[in-house]
Amino acid sequence: MTDRNATIYVIDDDESIRDSLGSLLRSVGFHVEVFASTESFLNFSRHDVSSCLVLDVRLPGSSGMEFQDHLKKAGIEIPIIFITAHGDIPMTSRAIKAGAVEFLTKPFQKDELLEAIDQGLDRDRRHRVEQAEFLALRERLEKLTQREREVMELVVEGLLNKQVASRLGLSEVTVKIHRAHAMQKMQAESLADLVRMVERLKPQSRR
Amino acid sequence: MQIGGDVPANPARFSLAGYGVGLFFVSMALICTLLVQHLFLHPFLFLFFAAVVVSAWLGGTGPGLFAVLLSTLAVDYFFIPPLDSFAVKAPDVAYFSAFVLSALAGSWVSSSQRKSREALRTAHDLLEIHVAERTAELEQANADLRERERQLRMIEHLSRVLTIGELTASIAHEVNQPIAAVVTYGHACLEWLTQDPPNLDEARHAAERIIKDGSRAGAVIGRIQSLYKKEPSTRELLDVNEVIQDLIVFLREETGRHHIDLRTDFAPDLPAVEGDRVQLQQVLQNLVANGIDAMHGSTGRARELWITTAKETSGEVVVKIKDSGVGLSQEVSDRIFQPFFTTKPQGIGLGLSISRSIIESHGGHLSASQNLCGGAIFQFTLPAASSNQHD
Repeated sequence: MTDRNATIYVIDDDESIRDSLGSLLRSVGFHVEVFASTESFLNFSRHDVSSCLVLDVRLPGSSGMEFQDHLKKAGIEIPIIFITAHGDIPMTSRAIKAGAVEFLTKPFQKDELLEAIDQGLDRDRRHRVEQAEFLALRERLEKLTQREREVMELVVEGLLNKQVASRLGLSEVTVKIHRAHAMQKMQAESLADLVRMVERLKPQSRR
Repeated sequence: MQIGGDVPANPARFSLAGYGVGLFFVSMALICTLLVQHLFLHPFLFLFFAAVVVSAWLGGTGPGLFAVLLSTLAVDYFFIPPLDSFAVKAPDVAYFSAFVLSALAGSWVSSSQRKSREALRTAHDLLEIHVAERTAELEQANADLRERERQLRMIEHLSRVLTIGELTASIAHEVNQPIAAVVTYGHACLEWLTQDPPNLDEARHAAERIIKDGSRAGAVIGRIQSLYKKEPSTRELLDVNEVIQDLIVFLREETGRHHIDLRTDFAPDLPAVEGDRVQLQQVLQNLVANGIDAMHGSTGRARELWITTAKETSGEVVVKIKDSGVGLSQEVSDRIFQPFFTTKPQGIGLGLSISRSIIESHGGHLSASQNLCGGAIFQFTLPAASSNQHD
């Protein structure tokens, strides 16, 4: 059930909490890095492997919640599991809304933590796949000529070849050829497939 | 009149009066000398010296010289031959000159004496004004200092009173951290042991840390206990109404923040009780805080909190805190004073049990009951001082 290549980061200013989490997570096969502060976490050069962050809510300096915002603004995508000595409902819902995986109140049981971590790693993995797909699609898109791209954009809007031809001032045969090239370069199996790809490439549709 | 040596307030009036004085004394001297001239062989001119000296003393240099001039004219006219004439015969020139010089000398000595005395007096007066000013400044500074000291004592006092509420939050955190670590180490220890082969080093490390963190949690509890035991309770004779009154500003602030009316009904002439003011205020503060929490989210009913005092027929003082909150179910009121029993999501259930032990250490009793009009009543009794002293 655990991903042996995954790294779990733990940030807690209490040495016992940090060390005990390190021991438990290592005992079930994770690679663990523990930090006493958010600064030391940021200074650490993280491996490019699936990972998630176990973060104490009450930290000296910036609170865990502030740090969550900070990571988001800095574009650092990592699933967060909050741990706290005194979780109240508004705080929990705020953290979850802001994208936290789980909010655990200390003391918590092993299964609660491992379940949350699995969920977090799963989310991280999905995110990584999506990110990889997006990069691959963008690479393909860059291979298209200007004309092919224009034709593709109109085709996915639902225009017929004839309409595309008249819009761009081309012959219908030429449009067909550009369209076939675009489909081939984008590795789209059908028009629906192509529509989905173009949709993914739109910046606002990125998750 | 400024004569008499005070600092002159009006120099013009003063000098006119001085010349008048010169004229008066010289006239007096003349009259006296005329009256007594037949008793002596030579004219008795010493009275003129006296008039000059007195005029210079009272009036200053001007009136002194004026008196010298008048005396000279009078002596010349009445006593130096030829009489009734201002002419002076040759044989009398030396005698007359000696008179004039003596008069001038007398006037100079007297007026300069007066001047130095005046300067001295002025300096003295200035000094006194200065001293009075400095004294007033010092008194003001002293009063400021006393006021600041009083405020400091008040803050210190309030911060001690606040400890139950704050203590509970800090206990929750301080105890929870090591306990969370113990639980996590326990899970880790089991994991290390169930591996094949078991990782005994890691398991041992986890077990050692369980001991360490368990002790750490115990130490926190121990610290809290010693906090309550060590603080020597200072017993004094107290007026319960006054003890509550001292706290009321603070309590009102708390209730006001939660839009609750704090009402009081104090019985007059309560017997004094013997107790620790701060501890009793801690109890009050805690009961009021409970009342506020009980009214949290309650709408419709009047949001009122009553603090009443009364004298029981047995002579005990009874203090009641009534809220219009959710009230107490039978199940809750049975367990409400047990340590760690709480109905609040954030509570750890120590406030009421600490309060009860404080009241019992005062020889009183703390109890809870349902308010017939809705809400709860917490009440505690305290024995009157005289009966308490026999314990």
